[in-house]
Amino acid sequence: MSLSNLLNDWTRYRQGIEEGGFHDYEHIFGMAIDLNKCIGCNACSIACYAENNLAVVGEEKFAKDQGMHWLRIERYWDEPDLGADDQEFQEHGASFLPMMCQQCNAATCEPVCPVAATYHTPDGLNAQVYNRCIGSRYCSNNCPYRLRYFNFYSYYETSWPAPLDQQLNPDLSVRDKGVMEKCTFCIQRIRVAKDTAQREERELVDGEFTTACAQTCPTSAIQFGDLQDPNSKVSQLWKQYQVKLGTTEQSKQNKELRGYRVFESLNTEPCVMYLDRVREV
Amino acid sequence: MSGHEIKRRDFLKVMGWGGVGATLAGCDMPTTVTLEEGKEEVVSYMSPEEFVIPGIGIYYASTCQQCSAGCGIYGRVREGRVLKLEGNPASQINGGKLCQMGQAGVQTHYNPDRITKPMLRKGKELVEVSWDEAMAELDKRVGKSSSVDGQRVAWFSGSMSGHQSVLLDAYLESVGSKSHFVYEAINSAVSRAVNAEMLGDATPHYRFDKAALLLSFGADLLGASSSPVHYSTQYGEFRSAPRGMHVQIEPSMSLTGANADLWQPVIPGTEGVLAYGLINMLVNKMGYDASGLSLEVRGLIGKYDPAYAAKVTGISEERIEKIAGLLKSKSPSLVLAGTSTEGQRDGYNATAAVTLLNVILGNVGKTIESSGTFPFPQMAAKAGSSRDLLSFASALGKKQYDVVFFHGTNPVHTAPNYLGLVDNLADVPFKVTLSMFLDETAAVSDLVLPLLSSLEDWGTHVADVGGSTQTTDVTIQQPLMKQLYDDTRGFGDIVLSLLKARGVEEYTGFDDYYAYLRDAFSSTPEAITGGLGTKAFWQGSLQKGAVSIQLDKGALQSNPFASEVSEHKADPSYPMHLAPSARLGMWDGRHANIPWLQEAPDQISKVVWESWAEIHPSTAAKMGVTNGDMIKVESRQGAIKVKVYVHRGVHPNVVAVPMGRGHEQYGRYAKGRGVNPLKILSQVTENKTGELALYGTRVKVSNASDKGTLIHMGDSESQVGRKLVSTVTAEVFKNTEGGGNSVA
Repeated sequence: MSLSNLLNDWTRYRQGIEEGGFHDYEHIFGMAIDLNKCIGCNACSIACYAENNLAVVGEEKFAKDQGMHWLRIERYWDEPDLGADDQEFQEHGASFLPMMCQQCNAATCEPVCPVAATYHTPDGLNAQVYNRCIGSRYCSNNCPYRLRYFNFYSYYETSWPAPLDQQLNPDLSVRDKGVMEKCTFCIQRIRVAKDTAQREERELVDGEFTTACAQTCPTSAIQFGDLQDPNSKVSQLWKQYQVKLGTTEQSKQNKELRGYRVFESLNTEPCVMYLDRVREV
Repeated sequence: MSGHEIKRRDFLKVMGWGGVGATLAGCDMPTTVTLEEGKEEVVSYMSPEEFVIPGIGIYYASTCQQCSAGCGIYGRVREGRVLKLEGNPASQINGGKLCQMGQAGVQTHYNPDRITKPMLRKGKELVEVSWDEAMAELDKRVGKSSSVDGQRVAWFSGSMSGHQSVLLDAYLESVGSKSHFVYEAINSAVSRAVNAEMLGDATPHYRFDKAALLLSFGADLLGASSSPVHYSTQYGEFRSAPRGMHVQIEPSMSLTGANADLWQPVIPGTEGVLAYGLINMLVNKMGYDASGLSLEVRGLIGKYDPAYAAKVTGISEERIEKIAGLLKSKSPSLVLAGTSTEGQRDGYNATAAVTLLNVILGNVGKTIESSGTFPFPQMAAKAGSSRDLLSFASALGKKQYDVVFFHGTNPVHTAPNYLGLVDNLADVPFKVTLSMFLDETAAVSDLVLPLLSSLEDWGTHVADVGGSTQTTDVTIQQPLMKQLYDDTRGFGDIVLSLLKARGVEEYTGFDDYYAYLRDAFSSTPEAITGGLGTKAFWQGSLQKGAVSIQLDKGALQSNPFASEVSEHKADPSYPMHLAPSARLGMWDGRHANIPWLQEAPDQISKVVWESWAEIHPSTAAKMGVTNGDMIKVESRQGAIKVKVYVHRGVHPNVVAVPMGRGHEQYGRYAKGRGVNPLKILSQVTENKTGELALYGTRVKVSNASDKGTLIHMGDSESQVGRKLVSTVTAEVFKNTEGGGNSVA
């Protein structure tokens, strides 16, 4: 960390858009995930494997929690909000939670990286520079969501026996051992869209591209877009549900309104909003 | 072909557009196109300049073949390689979305275990041979000059439709065979039969997006159903405000059940009684009118009073009353039966009881709509059933066939042991398998013909389910890249060469299946082309990925009939029920060779790479087992040993072992991994339809005294009080997002 960095006044990064913060961001890409619509089908996760060259590690390494699923569907059986948990049967089904890097604006993984391999981009993304990463794994230790995945081995040696390797997406790299990786909000798609917009001398248009997970989601539970664009679908959803950046606790006019960020009380400033699961009881 | 005049009607039949007379009246034969001219237009469909723009990915439309739903796909092609599949937004089936199996289509295509050359059995071994030798062998066995008796030739396939189906029918006709078995382990044959009888439409459109209540008796709409993505997109709308309620009644939790507002476990085989108990309550307590029903039906309804239903099903009268009350208060509703209800000895009658609920509740015409009639029966979907497996097995037992072709299905893996398929197949002198992989069926064949992948081949498909009430799509499958292996061939190409080998004149003029398809499109009735020129129509169809076909209007009937359901009997020596549940992912086992899907955590248990058995905590406690311990599941037909996963989404009398794994062949990712519950199914068939009763097997379970660990995702199954998945009640949702629950 340089001296000028230390001397800088960073407090504005603790302010929401509405409070005048974040002005030096070009975009703040974010998501809105409706758990009332998410059916836990796993399509998003496989779309992510296909898009992002995620390695298949095999059963032995998976058993050691070394699976590389950038986007995983967590499934919980208990429902703390619906009270007692002693029924004989799972009467309200399961609780599914698609978890990908929350692209925190105050990411806990960033300050602990000894080599600044993980940093925040002007797109509001928590980026991982593979070439810079030395594999200290401090970032994954510090991620409260456990959404960073470490290449303990050279998975490419076994993950894509020919001709499976021909499927690899040339728009992004295949990672070698010793490198941390995680969801990028499909940064390669963002790059292409931004380059195209620049070439055509226009602004990015909401909806002209999306992430692989949002694109395939059969129930359209996942919405992706620019939170800094007040007209984007995702901004509208955040506004509709009165969920704001720049706070550790949402204060809503209507307390019953759905919408929260996971672990927002930790002041990580996640850019993924979840809309509560709904059950008729 | 020149000089041979083809009559218009015959011509249309050759091209698959044959139909009922009325449909074609007024459709002019394209005046400018003859077969010869069509042929001249053929250009190389692999012209590289069209496919390769360095560094730029281009999307081409095609049709997903990972299950028989027929979703439209876009394949991203870059430098001549297909990299990623997306849903085709123009598709009526999937509206731009795909499931995990569709997403994994590229790993079927690029699979390292594909077979790349024809294989012929010489002595005991299958050895690689040239296509010339393979075709010569075929010619010797079934060619024009062979002495084969057409009656003794059978074709055994999975669900199929479109022009491949047209060609295959022509081939079987040319051979003189009437034996085309269409088999799917995961099917809805019983519901179809009931729907045809009671509603006059085997595959009506289910519109739960219009329903205020979805009551499902084991129908896994979002998972292993006839159109998972189609139903999932609908489900998204169903759950939007005004949010519909969903009640699921089933022996073990399916993906659909995991999304229910109320999940109710039930003993398999008692669903029919429960449905009648609900009807009884609706009629006798809640004022529903049954006077329009026949005396016989009314008598039957009277017989199943709620107290009796409660006794048989083990579900309390209060709970039955609650569900009946929901059916009354939330209208319109939609009541559906799935495999656990259908797959019983009297599954047809139980499914009829469930369908009767729709009639009584007045849902027919509201949430169940006519699917119309597809005007080209030659191309219509031939949907698979397990009855075809059983009749095939029985014909094999009687040594009725000399030559059997297999394609698009793997019966040696999915058939129960009791059918003795492998032994009986050994007596068939010549077995041919058309496949991309050396699966269990190919491994016992005498000739294996390596197929192109679905991303390399041409085809057309007609979905069985989905579409609107007015139109349906003939979807086009086009190659998204050049074939990976020179010595693999397309399905249509192979059937075409078989036809040529039979010397069938109408087909001798086509160089390949592509030429045939081009001609078929050139001869498309004008009502469909909208007057577009041949080339413009073809290219437009390729771009869109489909041709929209106006349906003949259909109308639903309502013919409620009496369907007595037998009393559920306990079996003291085999006290548990086996639920060989199907999953979106492994499916019937066809995707066990896809590494992404092997490593994709199961939606319910989160287990990867292996099999597991689901049991209820009370069952586990009795047996003294916990997660990961090995148990033995034994039926009268055999036993399997498998690790347990304990959760409360299973009826205590049920052990659920998902199908799909337990392969003995099928490549490095599938072979020797997990167990196959289908092998130990008992000899139980559905009385009326002759379907395999998938949920009719009784088993006993015991502790195999082997401690183990399940390989699964996630260390905690509890949120431990943290706000990970926050849940609000539907009442809160209604207050804040409006809508209430009645659509009316």
